[in-house]
Amino acid sequence: MTEKRKVGVFLCHCGGNISDVVDVGKVRDFAANQEDVVLATDFRFMCSNEGQERLQREIREKGLDGVVVACCTPKMYEDLFRGKAAEAGMNPFLLEIANVREQCSYPHRHEPAKATEKAKALVKAQVEKVRKLWSLEVKTAKIQPGVAVIGGGIAGIHASILLADLGHKVTLVEKSPTIGGNMARTVKTFPTDDCAMCTLSPKMNEAYNHENIDLMTYAEVVDAKRSPGKFTLTVEKKPRFVTDACIGCNRCTERCPVSTAKAPVQVESEWEMGLSKRKAIYLPFPSALPQLWTIDADHCFYFQRNHACRVCQMVCPAKAIDFTMKPERVAVDVGAVIVATGWKEYDPAPLAHLGFRRHKDVVTQLQFARMLDSMGPTRGEIARPSDGKPAETVVMVQCVGSRGAPGDPDTHEYCSRVCCMVAVKHAQLLKKARPEADVYILYIDLRAYGKGFEEYYVHSMELGVKYVRGLPGRVHPEGGKLLVDVDDMLTGRRLEIPADLVVLSAAMEPAPIDDLLASLHVDKTPDGFVKEYHAKINPTETAVKGVFVAGCAQGPKDITDTIAQAGAAAMSAAVFLGSGEMALNPLVAEVDPNLCRACDRCTEVCEFDAVHVDPNTLVAVVDETACEGCGKCAVVCPTGAISVRQFKKPQVLAAIDALAPMAVVP
Amino acid sequence: MTWEPQIAAFCCNWCGYAAADQAGAAKMEYPAGVKIVRLMCTGMMDPYYVLRAFERGFDGVLVVGCHVGSCHYKSGNLQAKEQLDRVDRVVRALGLGGRLAMTAASAAEGNVFADAARDFTEKVRKLGPNPLRQAVPA
Repeated sequence: MTEKRKVGVFLCHCGGNISDVVDVGKVRDFAANQEDVVLATDFRFMCSNEGQERLQREIREKGLDGVVVACCTPKMYEDLFRGKAAEAGMNPFLLEIANVREQCSYPHRHEPAKATEKAKALVKAQVEKVRKLWSLEVKTAKIQPGVAVIGGGIAGIHASILLADLGHKVTLVEKSPTIGGNMARTVKTFPTDDCAMCTLSPKMNEAYNHENIDLMTYAEVVDAKRSPGKFTLTVEKKPRFVTDACIGCNRCTERCPVSTAKAPVQVESEWEMGLSKRKAIYLPFPSALPQLWTIDADHCFYFQRNHACRVCQMVCPAKAIDFTMKPERVAVDVGAVIVATGWKEYDPAPLAHLGFRRHKDVVTQLQFARMLDSMGPTRGEIARPSDGKPAETVVMVQCVGSRGAPGDPDTHEYCSRVCCMVAVKHAQLLKKARPEADVYILYIDLRAYGKGFEEYYVHSMELGVKYVRGLPGRVHPEGGKLLVDVDDMLTGRRLEIPADLVVLSAAMEPAPIDDLLASLHVDKTPDGFVKEYHAKINPTETAVKGVFVAGCAQGPKDITDTIAQAGAAAMSAAVFLGSGEMALNPLVAEVDPNLCRACDRCTEVCEFDAVHVDPNTLVAVVDETACEGCGKCAVVCPTGAISVRQFKKPQVLAAIDALAPMAVVP
Repeated sequence: MTWEPQIAAFCCNWCGYAAADQAGAAKMEYPAGVKIVRLMCTGMMDPYYVLRAFERGFDGVLVVGCHVGSCHYKSGNLQAKEQLDRVDRVVRALGLGGRLAMTAASAAEGNVFADAARDFTEKVRKLGPNPLRQAVPA
């Protein structure tokens, strides 16, 4: 039925590791008698130079088109022997390893006769498999140049700059009107108390000015399609209603009637976390980039009141206001995508006992950060939002929304990692500015795990920050203050702390990106963050080849870790993009078009979005740049049309039959 | 020659096979009747392989994949479990109940592989030789 093959069997002694247990001579004689075997030989060390040369010589001289090396595990030298076989002119995928060391001489070393019999079976199985193998070629696929980075926070900015410096064309897509992300809000960074803006701003400028970075702000990726080696993203640019002619004079914002004292429409500033108002035409913050004003059409009187107001247009000296702008969709072709969509702060309102939104003087840490900013809504004064009086006693509450009970729909089970140090930082900053202020941190466990964190924490105690182990049962108003009831777990006493301001260390939540992840076919972990390919060893990759993840999109982390991961993601993306061509693993799925009946089962079980039915030919097509070769599809295919090369049914069955105790019954 | 249970052990490349390598490298002993067939993933474990192994006289079939959540290909081990649960009904109907098992061993768990190989062999030993061995004239 099949053509005659010329198979060579090479048995390695492994310097005694194999031959002290397995009777190599017997296995050799057995192998020599197998169908299609034209050579069976043994050698002291097959992996030595001499052994490799012998392999190559025999391939050339005997014209072998199949080789079995019986030696150690294929994980050790399969690649080496295949490479040597290729050099000698044989297709490397016709070489298989019989693992007679790890599977015979080692585990059965006290049973040499059985080990020898098993070695014969293993060799026979590989000979039979090799007889069923055919040559495979390593194809290459072109990879679209360019990378898209989604999210213009510190993770996206850092990854973009690195890739751009390496010469890659980067499209950086940010959905808000400015890059900078949440780091821009944090005022100072722990544990060094560096000014956040002073470290972030130069990076924002670098990204903004980089010749290899195409910055798209106020824009969102609304769809993604993948074809081999390429992602086509559809980016929707929202209309700013302000053209590039804007000179940044701020006259429009000054005159805009929205959010003025008596205006019927009041808009909370997103940038200031709702602690102040903003106009309908605005720049999010002074060092926003690009320095382009934006009209918020949802609140602007021109759009909401039938063109009633055109004040900004009238006062603009640059004639930069254009009410006719429309959303615009552009297609962006890239070879790789980095998801760096970051985080948002948990809304503590469902935790009614903490009184957030019920009492004005209960705020979150991000709001508190804005209060600490000398450019912020309170000009750096820590005051009670209710009446503007200085806050003399501040109580911070940890683990708000984090480390909740499993299954609690109102909180998250995970630890948000940064809140401990954020609270320590904010407490210190307040103590340094106003040593007479009383600052309490109510905690369950204080996690000062990073470099310099423990020292920072100890320093805060020296400054007089008071730590109470226990979380409050209730925050309620009394006598013009907020009374915080807490059981101090270390002393067993119940405390009632009269606070001017209660600051909640709210959890980090993933930004809402479900649609984006769905269109990229990237999964989430149950906590809502992007699922990495492997949590331990591939934390920057996703299961979709070419899609990487950086920063808090993957899970809560501080700025240091975000930068490190963004760098790693950039490196992974750069390696993937390589020189624009990737060598494809040939051991992946392939489809027999004559058998495929377009039922889509393969598509349903594929975890890598690697196989789709072509609507024109009604045949499943494997994207070999995406397929990992797991073979799930082969099992569910009702017609046997799809199979993984080297693991096709006849090939696996040949090995099973050869190992089986009973002879094949014709 | 006395009968020794013959076990076909289908191992995924990343966990089961690597665990067997580790068991060997650590010189852990297990019965020589355990013969490994290497698959890239248990997800490519066709239920037919189970039936074929029994037809060819194996006394037991053991499938060793990654732990749930650790599959190199995300969910191959889950699909394998599903497929094997289905074929196990056929296996039991054929009077071969108890001779098919699936377990998980990470690449670092040579001991888990060796224990599974040993325990399963003993379990199959109690069941006796595969009755299909006599049913087909050799």
